[in-house]
Amino acid sequence: MAKVDATVIKETKYISGFVIILSVLMQAVFLILNKWDYTVLLGNLFSDFFAVGNFYLMGLFVQKALGKEQDEAKKIIKASQQLRTLGMFVAIAVGVLVPCFNIISVVAPVFFPRIAISFRPLFKDKNSKDVIDK
Amino acid sequence: MLEIAVGIILGCCALGAGTAMIAGIGPGIGEGNAVAKACEAIGRQPESKGDVTSTMLMGCAIAETTGLYALVVAILLLFVAPGIFIDILISTIG
Repeated sequence: MAKVDATVIKETKYISGFVIILSVLMQAVFLILNKWDYTVLLGNLFSDFFAVGNFYLMGLFVQKALGKEQDEAKKIIKASQQLRTLGMFVAIAVGVLVPCFNIISVVAPVFFPRIAISFRPLFKDKNSKDVIDK
Repeated sequence: MLEIAVGIILGCCALGAGTAMIAGIGPGIGEGNAVAKACEAIGRQPESKGDVTSTMLMGCAIAETTGLYALVVAILLLFVAPGIFIDILISTIG
Protein backbone atom coordinates (compact mmCIF):
# COMPACT_ATOMS: atom_id res chain seq x y z
CA MET A 1 0.00 0.00 0.00
CA ALA A 2 1.33 3.46 -0.95
CA LYS A 3 2.41 5.85 1.81
CA VAL A 4 -0.15 8.47 2.70
CA ASP A 5 0.92 12.00 1.73
CA ALA A 6 1.78 14.32 4.65
CA THR A 7 -0.59 17.00 3.24
CA VAL A 8 -3.52 14.58 3.32
CA ILE A 9 -2.77 13.63 6.93
CA LYS A 10 -2.35 17.29 7.95
CA GLU A 11 -5.63 18.39 6.35
CA THR A 12 -7.51 15.38 7.71
CA LYS A 13 -6.23 16.19 11.21
CA TYR A 14 -7.42 19.79 10.83
CA ILE A 15 -10.85 18.66 9.59
CA SER A 16 -11.14 16.05 12.38
CA GLY A 17 -10.28 18.63 15.02
CA PHE A 18 -12.82 21.10 13.72
CA VAL A 19 -15.50 18.40 13.37
CA ILE A 20 -14.96 17.42 17.02
CA ILE A 21 -15.27 21.07 18.14
CA LEU A 22 -18.46 21.57 16.11
CA SER A 23 -19.87 18.28 17.42
CA VAL A 24 -19.33 19.41 21.00
CA LEU A 25 -21.07 22.69 20.13
CA MET A 26 -23.99 20.77 18.61
CA GLN A 27 -24.29 18.61 21.73
CA ALA A 28 -24.29 21.79 23.81
CA VAL A 29 -27.10 23.25 21.70
CA PHE A 30 -29.15 20.07 22.17
CA LEU A 31 -28.49 20.23 25.93
CA ILE A 32 -29.53 23.90 26.11
CA LEU A 33 -32.74 23.14 24.19
CA ASN A 34 -33.45 20.20 26.57
CA LYS A 35 -33.58 17.82 23.58
CA TRP A 36 -30.47 15.84 24.44
CA ASP A 37 -30.58 12.07 24.84
CA TYR A 38 -28.28 9.19 23.95
CA THR A 39 -29.57 9.07 20.34
CA VAL A 40 -28.09 12.54 19.72
CA LEU A 41 -24.65 11.40 20.90
CA LEU A 42 -24.80 8.13 18.95
CA GLY A 43 -25.98 9.84 15.75
CA ASN A 44 -23.28 12.47 16.10
CA LEU A 45 -20.48 9.90 16.57
CA PHE A 46 -21.80 7.80 13.68
CA SER A 47 -21.99 10.75 11.28
CA ASP A 48 -18.65 12.27 12.40
CA PHE A 49 -16.90 9.04 11.50
CA PHE A 50 -18.32 9.06 7.97
CA ALA A 51 -17.78 12.81 7.43
CA VAL A 52 -14.09 12.59 8.32
CA GLY A 53 -13.73 9.23 6.55
CA ASN A 54 -15.20 10.73 3.37
CA PHE A 55 -12.67 13.57 3.47
CA TYR A 56 -9.77 11.20 4.14
CA LEU A 57 -10.81 8.90 1.28
CA MET A 58 -11.05 11.91 -1.01
CA GLY A 59 -7.50 12.86 0.00
CA LEU A 60 -6.27 9.35 -0.75
CA PHE A 61 -7.90 9.31 -4.18
CA VAL A 62 -6.55 12.81 -4.97
CA GLN A 63 -3.07 11.64 -3.96
CA LYS A 64 -3.45 8.62 -6.20
CA ALA A 65 -4.73 10.74 -9.11
CA LEU A 66 -1.91 13.31 -8.88
CA GLY A 67 0.67 10.83 -10.11
CA LYS A 68 -1.30 10.02 -13.28
CA GLU A 69 -1.98 11.61 -16.65
CA GLN A 70 -4.70 14.29 -16.82
CA ASP A 71 -7.39 12.10 -18.40
CA GLU A 72 -6.72 9.21 -16.07
CA ALA A 73 -6.76 11.56 -13.07
CA LYS A 74 -10.17 12.88 -14.17
CA LYS A 75 -11.54 9.34 -14.41
CA ILE A 76 -10.15 8.34 -11.00
CA ILE A 77 -11.67 11.38 -9.28
CA LYS A 78 -15.06 10.96 -10.99
CA ALA A 79 -15.17 7.30 -10.00
CA SER A 80 -14.08 8.07 -6.44
CA GLN A 81 -16.72 10.80 -6.11
CA GLN A 82 -19.46 8.42 -7.22
CA LEU A 83 -18.22 5.71 -4.87
CA ARG A 84 -17.99 8.05 -1.90
CA THR A 85 -21.42 9.53 -2.63
CA LEU A 86 -22.86 6.01 -2.69
CA GLY A 87 -21.11 5.23 0.59
CA MET A 88 -22.45 8.41 2.17
CA PHE A 89 -25.96 7.58 0.88
CA VAL A 90 -25.85 4.21 2.60
CA ALA A 91 -24.39 5.71 5.79
CA ILE A 92 -26.92 8.57 6.05
CA ALA A 93 -29.81 6.27 5.10
CA VAL A 94 -28.82 3.87 7.90
CA GLY A 95 -28.51 6.84 10.27
CA VAL A 96 -31.96 8.15 9.32
CA LEU A 97 -33.70 4.75 9.39
CA VAL A 98 -32.23 3.22 12.55
CA PRO A 99 -34.19 4.57 15.53
CA CYS A 100 -31.20 4.70 17.89
CA PHE A 101 -29.85 7.70 15.95
CA ASN A 102 -31.31 11.22 16.05
CA ILE A 103 -31.95 12.39 12.47
CA ILE A 104 -30.67 15.94 13.00
CA SER A 105 -27.51 14.75 14.71
CA VAL A 106 -26.88 12.37 11.80
CA VAL A 107 -27.47 14.92 9.03
CA ALA A 108 -25.77 18.03 10.48
CA PRO A 109 -22.19 16.65 10.92
CA VAL A 110 -22.05 15.77 7.21
CA PHE A 111 -21.63 19.50 6.57
CA PHE A 112 -19.08 20.14 9.34
CA PRO A 113 -16.04 19.69 7.03
CA ARG A 114 -17.47 22.45 4.80
CA ILE A 115 -17.74 24.77 7.82
CA ALA A 116 -14.19 23.83 8.83
CA ILE A 117 -12.93 24.81 5.36
CA SER A 118 -14.72 28.18 5.64
CA PHE A 119 -12.60 28.92 8.73
CA ARG A 120 -9.42 27.60 7.07
CA PRO A 121 -7.96 31.03 6.09
CA LEU A 122 -7.90 32.01 9.79
CA PHE A 123 -5.60 29.08 10.64
CA LYS A 124 -3.57 29.05 7.44
CA ASP A 125 0.15 28.49 7.94
CA LYS A 126 2.02 31.69 7.04
CA ASN A 127 5.05 29.72 5.83
CA SER A 128 3.02 28.00 3.11
CA LYS A 129 1.86 31.43 1.87
CA ASP A 130 5.48 32.51 1.55
CA VAL A 131 6.25 29.51 -0.62
CA ILE A 132 3.37 30.41 -2.94
CA ASP A 133 4.50 34.06 -3.10
CA LYS A 134 8.01 33.00 -4.12
CA MET B 1 -59.02 6.80 -2.88
CA LEU B 2 -56.65 6.93 0.07
CA GLU B 3 -54.40 4.37 -1.60
CA ILE B 4 -54.16 6.54 -4.72
CA ALA B 5 -53.30 9.61 -2.63
CA VAL B 6 -50.61 7.67 -0.74
CA GLY B 7 -49.27 6.37 -4.04
CA ILE B 8 -49.09 9.89 -5.47
CA ILE B 9 -47.26 11.10 -2.35
CA LEU B 10 -44.72 8.26 -2.53
CA GLY B 11 -44.26 8.71 -6.27
CA CYS B 12 -43.73 12.47 -5.99
CA CYS B 13 -41.23 12.00 -3.13
CA ALA B 14 -39.26 9.47 -5.20
CA LEU B 15 -39.41 11.78 -8.22
CA GLY B 16 -38.19 14.69 -6.10
CA ALA B 17 -35.34 12.61 -4.69
CA GLY B 18 -34.28 11.56 -8.17
CA THR B 19 -34.42 15.13 -9.43
CA ALA B 20 -32.39 16.34 -6.45
CA MET B 21 -29.66 13.83 -7.23
CA ILE B 22 -29.06 15.49 -10.62
CA ALA B 23 -26.95 17.88 -8.55
CA GLY B 24 -24.71 14.92 -7.73
CA ILE B 25 -23.34 14.90 -11.29
CA GLY B 26 -21.70 18.33 -11.09
CA PRO B 27 -19.19 17.76 -8.28
CA GLY B 28 -17.70 14.71 -10.01
CA ILE B 29 -17.07 16.65 -13.22
CA GLY B 30 -15.78 19.71 -11.32
CA GLU B 31 -13.43 17.73 -9.09
CA GLY B 32 -12.16 15.80 -12.08
CA ASN B 33 -11.32 19.03 -13.93
CA ALA B 34 -9.67 20.54 -10.84
CA VAL B 35 -7.46 17.50 -10.29
CA ALA B 36 -6.55 17.33 -13.99
CA LYS B 37 -5.41 20.97 -13.89
CA ALA B 38 -3.56 20.33 -10.62
CA CYS B 39 -1.67 17.47 -12.33
CA GLU B 40 -0.69 19.93 -15.05
CA ALA B 41 0.41 22.54 -12.47
CA ILE B 42 2.48 20.01 -10.52
CA GLY B 43 4.03 18.83 -13.79
CA ARG B 44 5.17 22.41 -14.46
CA GLN B 45 6.23 23.20 -10.87
CA PRO B 46 6.95 20.00 -8.94
CA GLU B 47 8.23 21.96 -5.91
CA SER B 48 4.72 23.36 -5.27
CA LYS B 49 3.13 19.91 -4.94
CA GLY B 50 2.27 20.32 -1.23
CA ASP B 51 0.54 23.67 -1.66
CA VAL B 52 -1.32 22.60 -4.78
CA THR B 53 -2.52 19.38 -3.09
CA SER B 54 -3.62 21.24 0.02
CA THR B 55 -5.54 23.91 -1.91
CA MET B 56 -7.06 21.34 -4.21
CA LEU B 57 -8.21 19.11 -1.35
CA MET B 58 -10.07 22.05 0.16
CA GLY B 59 -11.52 22.96 -3.24
CA CYS B 60 -12.67 19.41 -3.85
CA ALA B 61 -14.29 19.25 -0.41
CA ILE B 62 -16.18 22.49 -1.12
CA ALA B 63 -17.29 21.22 -4.53
CA GLU B 64 -18.45 18.00 -2.97
CA THR B 65 -20.67 19.78 -0.45
CA THR B 66 -23.11 20.62 -3.25
CA GLY B 67 -23.51 16.93 -3.94
CA LEU B 68 -23.94 16.23 -0.24
CA TYR B 69 -26.74 18.84 0.01
CA ALA B 70 -28.52 17.04 -2.81
CA LEU B 71 -27.87 13.68 -1.17
CA VAL B 72 -29.32 14.78 2.15
CA VAL B 73 -32.39 16.30 0.45
CA ALA B 74 -32.89 13.06 -1.50
CA ILE B 75 -32.56 10.89 1.63
CA LEU B 76 -34.99 13.06 3.57
CA LEU B 77 -37.45 12.95 0.66
CA LEU B 78 -37.15 9.17 0.43
CA PHE B 79 -37.19 8.17 4.08
CA VAL B 80 -38.61 11.01 6.19
CA ALA B 81 -40.99 13.11 4.05
CA PRO B 82 -43.42 10.32 3.01
CA GLY B 83 -44.27 9.57 6.65
CA ILE B 84 -44.88 13.23 7.44
CA PHE B 85 -47.01 13.81 4.31
CA ILE B 86 -49.07 10.66 4.91
CA ASP B 87 -49.67 11.73 8.53
CA ILE B 88 -50.86 15.14 7.28
CA LEU B 89 -53.11 13.45 4.72
CA ILE B 90 -54.66 11.12 7.30
CA SER B 91 -55.18 13.91 9.83
CA THR B 92 -56.78 16.07 7.12
CA ILE B 93 -59.18 13.30 6.08
CA GLY B 94 -59.89 12.58 9.72
